[in-house]
Amino acid sequence: MRGRLRVRGLGWSPAGRRVLGPVDLELPAGGCLAVVGPNGAGKTTLMRLIAGVLEPSGGTVEWRGEDLLALPARARACRLAYLPQVRPARVPLSVEQLVLLGRYPHLSRWRLGPRREDFAAVRQAAIWVGVEALLPRPLDELSGGERQAVYLAAALAQETELLLLDEPTAHLDAQHQRDLAGLIVRLRSETERTVLIATHDLNLASLAADVVVALAEGDIVAQGPPAEVIRPEVLHEVFAAPFTVVRGGERPVTLLELGG
Amino acid sequence: MVRQRRQTLALAVLGLSFLGVLAVVPLVGETLWGWTEVASSDPTVRLVLLEIRLPRVLLGLAAGGALAIAGLALQTLFRNPLAEPYTLGVASGASLGAVLVLQLGVSASGLGLPAVGLAAFAGALAVTLVLLGLAGSRFADESAGMLLAGVAISLSCSAAILFIQYLADWTKTYRMVRWMMGGLAVVGYTEVLWLLGPLVLGLTVLSLERWELDLLLSGEELAASRGVDLRRLRLIVLGTVSVMVGAVVAVAGPIGFVGLIVPHLLRRWVGHGHLHLVPATFFGGAVFLALCDLAARRVMAPSELPVGVVTALLGGPFFLWVLLWRRRAP
Repeated sequence: MRGRLRVRGLGWSPAGRRVLGPVDLELPAGGCLAVVGPNGAGKTTLMRLIAGVLEPSGGTVEWRGEDLLALPARARACRLAYLPQVRPARVPLSVEQLVLLGRYPHLSRWRLGPRREDFAAVRQAAIWVGVEALLPRPLDELSGGERQAVYLAAALAQETELLLLDEPTAHLDAQHQRDLAGLIVRLRSETERTVLIATHDLNLASLAADVVVALAEGDIVAQGPPAEVIRPEVLHEVFAAPFTVVRGGERPVTLLELGG
Repeated sequence: MVRQRRQTLALAVLGLSFLGVLAVVPLVGETLWGWTEVASSDPTVRLVLLEIRLPRVLLGLAAGGALAIAGLALQTLFRNPLAEPYTLGVASGASLGAVLVLQLGVSASGLGLPAVGLAAFAGALAVTLVLLGLAGSRFADESAGMLLAGVAISLSCSAAILFIQYLADWTKTYRMVRWMMGGLAVVGYTEVLWLLGPLVLGLTVLSLERWELDLLLSGEELAASRGVDLRRLRLIVLGTVSVMVGAVVAVAGPIGFVGLIVPHLLRRWVGHGHLHLVPATFFGGAVFLALCDLAARRVMAPSELPVGVVTALLGGPFFLWVLLWRRRAP
């Protein structure tokens, strides 16, 4: 039985104001789902609700039949790794220390230091992402793209089946966007992880995802494989902006028209 | 791995310094002794050493260690290098309690401590309750909010203290001012024993929560997603810090800057990971205050400077130095 992620009626309405939902989502294990939509649509809210960082106003999140939100936080962290968009600007730790903190759900306060398997997981994750050479360096010395890769390594070191990435390629230059996109595609093909991404980058969604969900003003406006959602008509409804398809097919590439 | 070796070395050096201070500083005083003289059974030597000097050094070590790890905990909790027991108002609340008692002229004592000390401890706990109450509300969602609340409480307590000082007569005002300079001059082991419990509590709690504290450095949302209960962590750390600082202020009066200076210095040496930083800060703070007290005893011999004056005199130039240093190597 492969299992799936099932989101039912998930929503957040603080102080009576509806920010998100209720939304329903489904993703088979091992798949990749991308949530796209304009600012304020509720992408980050959705991520935070599923990660258990924000308490929902209603709804459930089930993974392989287990209610994720009912679990204690630490148990949930053994099933789900979350890479938030907003992080402190200065983190005075080394790369190795940060990736090691990804092992927190597996660490014991009663054992003096991390175990050999914790260090092994750190090394493996760093090698997979390609930041092994950076392990002894202070985090603050790295570029934005390198730092993002390190945070991804930390999430991988957590050794969870589910991975939630909020805006993984935001604020990165072209080269690092390609690198991160490549890593996410490899996550899909080389590991058995189930990945959810929230992103502004429609081409990333198209490239990496099995299912694309378009969110606007707290509601799902379209849901389906990339070819169905990444289309000018749908995108115009979601973003109220004109897009052209540069390359069609199963994973369309679109361009936002700035002028005209 | 090189870093690991450096950290172990640093801890070893600090631990040895701690033992060194414990062994040597009690011998330094008006009359300088060697251990041979101590071994002799001269009752005066014994009395001065065991009842006056040794307790004082022990108190300095314990108080210094407690203040240093309290400062460390607050700096991590609020991710602010300026956080320390004073910034949150805990020390100010304690001072307010003490000043009130001095004004009212209560001379009772209980549990081995004079009323002033007990009132100081009560003041510290009162401020903590206010902070914890705020921690339960929406303020807890953002560390910055708590820090501002702490500053507000601190300022309010200072204002109240000034007011009471204005109302008090000469002798009482002198006593208040003198108390607020801090002092480690004790006879016997009552104060040390009073401090021992809170200190052990603080060391235990902060050591056990070392991974959680590290995670706080990497971001609150990230920490929460990994399973850290932020609210519980704040409550535990704040509660422990307050009990520790309350106890220190109760027995030694307010002593500033230890919680600010020591963690900063040790981070450069041992790094930011709390596994090594907590014990290192404890030893560093202990040695620092014990040596400051030695200076306080000897610099203006035969009279004594209050130890709080020494730490304050060191504090200002220290900050200037840190500022200049940071500018050179950003």
